[in-house]
Amino acid sequence: MSQSKHMTVLDSKVPVSAVVILAAVFGFGLFVVGYDQGHLLSLVIGEQAFKDLYIHELTHDMRHAAGFPCH
Amino acid sequence: MKAYLFVLVVLLSGFSAGVVYGFINFVTTEPFLDSAIELENRADFQSGKEKDTPEFRAEYNAYRYWQKGGMVLAGGIFGLATGSLFGIVFAYSRKSLPGKHDVQKALVLAGLMWLAVFMIPFLKYPANPPTVGDPNTVVYRAILYLSFIAISGLGALAFYKLYKKISKNKKVLAFVGYAIFIGIAFVMMPQNPDKVLAPMDLVSGFRTMSATSVTIYWIINAVILGALWHRFQARHELQKELG
Repeated sequence: MSQSKHMTVLDSKVPVSAVVILAAVFGFGLFVVGYDQGHLLSLVIGEQAFKDLYIHELTHDMRHAAGFPCH
Repeated sequence: MKAYLFVLVVLLSGFSAGVVYGFINFVTTEPFLDSAIELENRADFQSGKEKDTPEFRAEYNAYRYWQKGGMVLAGGIFGLATGSLFGIVFAYSRKSLPGKHDVQKALVLAGLMWLAVFMIPFLKYPANPPTVGDPNTVVYRAILYLSFIAISGLGALAFYKLYKKISKNKKVLAFVGYAIFIGIAFVMMPQNPDKVLAPMDLVSGFRTMSATSVTIYWIINAVILGALWHRFQARHELQKELG
């Protein structure tokens, strides 16, 4: 089977690669908007990220608006 | 439609709907968020924790500017995330959804997903403005909320599988089964441990606007995804016919 045929979306056969990408976007996006408390930036700036909470504050209003527990 | 086009269509529709949703929130939920945060400020002034000085207001305004600016960006990320889940389910279920046009099909699915992964969890754990919620229970509340979304969503998926397997005159049993299942889960799941001490008109108004905005988001996402899907699917089929 050629690569192009393998990557073609048919209604009965959804490509796993596309589903994996979208599932990753779903998980990562949900975490950023709904649950990050400094975890992501702590990978770059360390413990300070848990005090600064930049992503938490950036997504603060959306968290409340979309129904996620915020604080 | 090629796989990369499928991913692009899903991400584009989710992101666009999310950005629009972010802007809608400026009109719907933001006034309530401002009121709630001002209540927190007043409580801090009364307790002596803060003083209502020009310096405080300058710092507060900068802080709120950052939070409000994030509404649109976070809306885009929310749209990417939720839209991705929607796109995956749409790809798998499109052929069995009622409707002639992909927009109709997407709207039907959006209605079902809105009910299963938003409205039912929202009824159990409704959105709250600032001033409601003890920071010490936030992880517990997050686990409860996410768990109930997963229970409701996976339950809906399981009963959809059952719906497809059973004969036509018994299909109503799948809906009844899901209603019983989610009713039991609704009662069994623990309550939100935090008491609502904020004014109820503020809380109720915020919840109404929150639910309205999320509902609009689902409709926009469905319309954009359905329209783009229809366009690119039709083009793909035409290309196949032309060889």
